[in-house]
Amino acid sequence: MLSALILLPLLGAVTINFLPLGRTKLPLSEKPRSRSVPDGIRARLRRVAFVFASLTFLWAIILTSRFDVTVANQQFSEFLPWIDALGLSYNLGVDGLSLPLVLLNGLLTCIAIYSSDEDLQRPRFYYSLILLLNAAVTGAFLAQDLLLFFLFYELELIPLYLLIAIWGGQKRGYAATKFLIYTAVSGILILASFLGLVWLSGAPSFALKTLDTSAVPLATQILLLVGILIGFGIKIPLVPFHTWLPDAHVEASTPISVLLAGVLLKLGTYGLIRFGLYLLPQAWTYVAPFLAIWAVVSVLYGASCAIAQKDMKKMVAYSSIGHMGYVLLAAAAATPLSILATVMQMLSHGLISALLFLLVGVVYKKAGSRDLDVLGGLFNPERGMPVIGSLMVVGVMASAGIPGMFGFIAEFMVFRSSFAVFPVQTLLCMIGTGLTAVYFLILMNRAFFGRLSAQVTNLPRVYWSDRAAAIVLAVLIVVLGIQPRWLVHWTEATTTTMVLNASNGIANTSFVKTKGQN
Amino acid sequence: MVTAQPKPTNHPLAEYIHRLESGGTLVPNTPENLLEVVGILKSYGVVLDAYSKNLIYIAEHQFLVLFPFFKYFNGEINFRKLLRHWFHDRINFEYAEYCMKAMFWHGGGGLDKYLDTPEFQQRAQAVIQAKFKNNPIMRGINQLFPDFLIEQLRVSAYYSGLGQFWRVMADIFLNLSDRYEQGEIKSIPQVVDHIKAGLVANANKPITYAVKIRGQVYEIIPASVGLTFLADTAVPYVEAVFFRGTPFPGTVSFNAQAYQVPPDQARFQYGALYADPLPIGGAGIPPTLLMQDMRHFLPEYLHEIYRRGPRGEDDLRVQICMSFQKSMFCVTTAAILGLMPYPADTKNPEEQRLNRVYLQKWMDRLIPSRLQEVNS
Repeated sequence: MLSALILLPLLGAVTINFLPLGRTKLPLSEKPRSRSVPDGIRARLRRVAFVFASLTFLWAIILTSRFDVTVANQQFSEFLPWIDALGLSYNLGVDGLSLPLVLLNGLLTCIAIYSSDEDLQRPRFYYSLILLLNAAVTGAFLAQDLLLFFLFYELELIPLYLLIAIWGGQKRGYAATKFLIYTAVSGILILASFLGLVWLSGAPSFALKTLDTSAVPLATQILLLVGILIGFGIKIPLVPFHTWLPDAHVEASTPISVLLAGVLLKLGTYGLIRFGLYLLPQAWTYVAPFLAIWAVVSVLYGASCAIAQKDMKKMVAYSSIGHMGYVLLAAAAATPLSILATVMQMLSHGLISALLFLLVGVVYKKAGSRDLDVLGGLFNPERGMPVIGSLMVVGVMASAGIPGMFGFIAEFMVFRSSFAVFPVQTLLCMIGTGLTAVYFLILMNRAFFGRLSAQVTNLPRVYWSDRAAAIVLAVLIVVLGIQPRWLVHWTEATTTTMVLNASNGIANTSFVKTKGQN
Repeated sequence: MVTAQPKPTNHPLAEYIHRLESGGTLVPNTPENLLEVVGILKSYGVVLDAYSKNLIYIAEHQFLVLFPFFKYFNGEINFRKLLRHWFHDRINFEYAEYCMKAMFWHGGGGLDKYLDTPEFQQRAQAVIQAKFKNNPIMRGINQLFPDFLIEQLRVSAYYSGLGQFWRVMADIFLNLSDRYEQGEIKSIPQVVDHIKAGLVANANKPITYAVKIRGQVYEIIPASVGLTFLADTAVPYVEAVFFRGTPFPGTVSFNAQAYQVPPDQARFQYGALYADPLPIGGAGIPPTLLMQDMRHFLPEYLHEIYRRGPRGEDDLRVQICMSFQKSMFCVTTAAILGLMPYPADTKNPEEQRLNRVYLQKWMDRLIPSRLQEVNS
């Protein structure tokens, strides 16, 4: 059942590449000189990709409806022996930690495909890569084998690198290479830590359920944890490993930024909890105070940099760095509520940052600029983008943690749960929330309020199709802000059990053993 | 015989002074401008017709009604009309009131002077006594606050004055459209000539105001006062609405405490000729109402041009306002030429000099206007 979530997008990627979609028959005299794909076929390719992404998302929703929220452990598990000599198996499962992220991945992939430019070049390759990316990320969230996770984690790099390098902005080559180098280093550190975990714990395979690190000396555990922290810290990204992110965002096209901020960064925080906290709970308690300080640095540095930006997209990118710091703070606290808060913050950030990047993308597409010195007055009711501006208000309010929005729920849970463990660090992180309001008010004021800037008085028309994806996200952000219970109940059992087991120092034994009973 | 033209002026708007001296207009004579100006004046004519009828209705039937809930209904009150009113799919008569209040506030002309005379006070008191003959409360209020009800009648007089002015203007604009459709109007100067001719023809049309109470007619502005269309309504209207403004607040923000608002009302430059069309459509921007009203009556040839714009019908009201501004510069041209001390084609050097001085004074006021934008 879970394999379908990986196979469907893969099938879509293959189909798009090989399915004959027919070509418009033109007289010889009108044959196009270039090999560019006709508009009609481009639209059809997008529709096919969207159908596959939607089917995948639909399947994820069906699985969610059958998900038992009272069960803490992996459900719908699948196991296939693969390379026994290496200890590698095809082992999938989903629990309350990974299920919301799989759903988020499905939703944002649909939105990314929907919001892709109709006139982009090499559409077959583009949509195939997006579907491949979806499959790889889902695979990483579902993998119950360290090596399998690593394979999916590395597999996701290739399409993302190509999506930035081929369809990016002017400095796409630089940004894509920087992204590749950083994440390759991240991969090396993670692989080294995984190998260390397996070899030093004497586990017979890379399967999560066979790992028991309780016998590993604490110093070695800390060393392994540092490897995991830096590896996933690059992916999250945490300061000072963050420099690839603003470049990647600025150069990536809007749909790729949506996926990058919405889902791919979550692989880092997911990995931190799944493989750091879960596998090395003893070491985690030692490094947790440092992690909380690290979170404060990330939050305040990200927010301060965001304030200084004039490029709207860069501002949102730095905002991401700050907001992912909240996840680290809550993860460091490692209480049942705080780990639940990490999941909420991941989802909240996924939806909000996706919304913000989508809206910045529409502004850029229509106005031709993201520069706050150039833009102005976009709220103009006739010649501006009042609906886009209103959605932007929803997005920035949610990001700044205004009550009634999903961002508030997530941030409140983070602060409420972390305060008891790290009061000073939590208070410092709360300053970050205030700073979020500062930089986003700057953005709103300069880009949307005032008189319509002279440079953008003749903006092209904004269609409902430009707004539709953002409206879906905005509605979700408001609905989940009013009724977060719909999400919380999927995750609560898993996170609570995970933390309780971790705190007893038996995380990788009893937690896994209870699986059979369910 | 070669007649010496005055030397070119170095005025910032010299181009327009020379253009007017040589029989041109403030708006360039192009087929696109002609189509826009005539088309928009047609829809404006329809709207003005409705405005004028309502203003006159209010003046004649809603005078001294302190809570005139149904003043926009022109006497026809039914549930369907009420629903339509609330839904705002109607003529926004509020805009006409904004203009009336602008005229009332800025004053000028004989109407303003007359409303401060003892004769008006006397006539107004007679109306008040007749209207509230059987209403001791209102009579008491009139005793306690003797200026209160008289001020209401001053406002009513302005309702009537503007209503009568727009009645004439509506006919001029609708007639212009008919002539254009019949092929008689083919250039912007012809448009200006048509408007000028209309203004001149109606210049001495008397402005009067009378109300009927229980079958008896009470004259508030009798013909004997000598108020006329051009001097006492048209000129104050142009001054208040085209130049000084208030029907266009909100299009630009000013900070009075930072001395951005001149203390002298005569130096106000917030009128239709200065208004920025871009904020049209926003809440609290009165011209939005006018543009909304005109939108319903656009001739198809003009509507089609707007549809072809980069934003299609999304910025229809801004496009209407831009065309409207062009048309108002045509009306201003007609007013400038109509009030010119000597004919524009005079050969007399002294008359030419005086015409130049006259035109320079107009252009001084138009320096901060949107004349350049309209011509760009």
